[in-house]
Amino acid sequence: MDAASSSCSSTPASESSITYYDFLNKMRNLASLDLVRSIKSFIVSFSFYTANPENDGQRVQEFFSTMEAAIIDHPLWAGAANEEVDCAMEGLEKYVMTKLFSRTFAASPEDVKIDREIYEKIQLLQTFLRPEHLDIPKILQNEAAWLLAEKELLKINAFKAPREKLLCIMSCCRVINNLLLNASISENHALGGADDFLPVLIYVTIKANPPQLHSNLKFIQLYRRQAKLISEAAYYFTNLVSAKSFIVDLTAKSISMDEIEFEQSMQAARLANKESQVEPSSRSYEMTDLGAETCPGTSTSMDDRETIMNGTSHYPYMEAEAGELTVKDVEKLLSLYKDVVTKYTSLCSAVRRISESGKVPSVPIFRETNPFFSQVEGKSEGTDLSVDLKGEQNGKQICK
Amino acid sequence: MGCSSSLPDRSSRRLSGLGNPESNGVPDAKNLRVKLVLLGDSGVGKSCIVLRFVRGQFDPTSKVTIGASFLSQTIALQDSTTVKFEIWDTAGQERYAALAPLYYRGAAVAVIVYDITSPESFNKAQYWVKELQKHGSPDIVLALVGNKADLHENREVPVQDGMDYAEKNGMFFIETSAKTADNINQLFEEIGKRLPRTPPS
Repeated sequence: MDAASSSCSSTPASESSITYYDFLNKMRNLASLDLVRSIKSFIVSFSFYTANPENDGQRVQEFFSTMEAAIIDHPLWAGAANEEVDCAMEGLEKYVMTKLFSRTFAASPEDVKIDREIYEKIQLLQTFLRPEHLDIPKILQNEAAWLLAEKELLKINAFKAPREKLLCIMSCCRVINNLLLNASISENHALGGADDFLPVLIYVTIKANPPQLHSNLKFIQLYRRQAKLISEAAYYFTNLVSAKSFIVDLTAKSISMDEIEFEQSMQAARLANKESQVEPSSRSYEMTDLGAETCPGTSTSMDDRETIMNGTSHYPYMEAEAGELTVKDVEKLLSLYKDVVTKYTSLCSAVRRISESGKVPSVPIFRETNPFFSQVEGKSEGTDLSVDLKGEQNGKQICK
Repeated sequence: MGCSSSLPDRSSRRLSGLGNPESNGVPDAKNLRVKLVLLGDSGVGKSCIVLRFVRGQFDPTSKVTIGASFLSQTIALQDSTTVKFEIWDTAGQERYAALAPLYYRGAAVAVIVYDITSPESFNKAQYWVKELQKHGSPDIVLALVGNKADLHENREVPVQDGMDYAEKNGMFFIETSAKTADNINQLFEEIGKRLPRTPPS
């Protein structure tokens, strides 16, 4: 089966569009009028029913089977090889699902909600999750390969046909697959199989954070021709479903991270996100407020900074040793911690606002919503900023 | 822990044009297509066993897929049946255990692997057997495999324990060594023989 269909199912998008035009051309042929009628009436019939993903999926699959039988018996395909019929079916799938896309993709409010929740959770995880938390061996930590895999995965929303969406997943997985195979060849890293593959895929998925992940997976599951969601394609698809499910259920227990550290990181990320969504008017207030407080701190020397901190008694624990602390201090420490995080994130959004309005051209402009925290995982955007933030030069610029 | 056999043989990978026995595509009673899922603790050598199996078949007409975690290989049995194994590897780390049902759903065969030098991995194997008996397809073929049989001086799980457990649970049992290739082909041939002779739907 794979041999017969490989020319159709694993070609890149450019070649597949040739196949697709071939299908459209055949449909323009007068002899295929009966097929065209069936297709049109099927698409129209969808508007008679209220959307229901499971029913819709079943109806579409049944229609595909009926049409496959009709094409095999059709004079236009008389004596055609399996391959040709298969290409026609790929064309049909693309045509029908493109027409029905808005009804079938992320159609229910429930799906939209799940998509948003996953997207937001990944946004938080992105700020602090590192390969070590998933115990990914150093040898497989290859930024270039991961970036390529992320890009392949992110293409998923550029397509409407289930087959093409599935191909994006396959390409992403193949990049990871090659990384693993290469590591086993050149680095003498024992091939770990799925033990290595799944953690890398999970990490790549988190880094990429493809919008509407849940809906994309559901759409492929329901509308990719069943005969095609088998074998290797099914395996890689299942891995992404499993990565999604892992991310949805992810807690401190599922990764190599201390529970308290995990909660704090999630909290800090939430604050940072919230901060970046605050109305501009309130942000400008915070900015001036911050400007007054942070400028001296970021000025010349360490001594100066301590003087100011001690002088204002804002941070009384700066000189404290762990042994001196008592349980009573916890509450105060926590509130100070929150204070610091809030200020830090305000600072970040302030800097971003300034840089976006073009006042400080030397500070890079960020596309990330949480520019500071993204440096933790070494993402290229934002890294420049956070390094700069620590430098004194920029501190002065902010004050100006 | 590592696979001792050498690199994937790239040159022999895509020689499928030479008259693929399955080019008619559709599986039938003589040409089976079988989903096989591999379960077991991480580090027991699951992927090494299948790599050995897939690379060890030198029939240039058979179509082979060698991925890091998905592999396929076709074997011919004595009764002239061919079986195409589609081998789904699963991540063995504890944190991914809850995801296993996504992988073994619809599998015709489950190969559960442990390491004869690691009693914990044998416990884990028993956990998987119970889980599959509860949630796997009812006619699934189960095989219990004690791997790393070459390390007999470090053996901690007696052969008899594996045999007894498998017998009690109606499973096929074999000890293998991915390192020396001992019993690797036998494992897959025996699985082939035990498959119900109706094509998977």
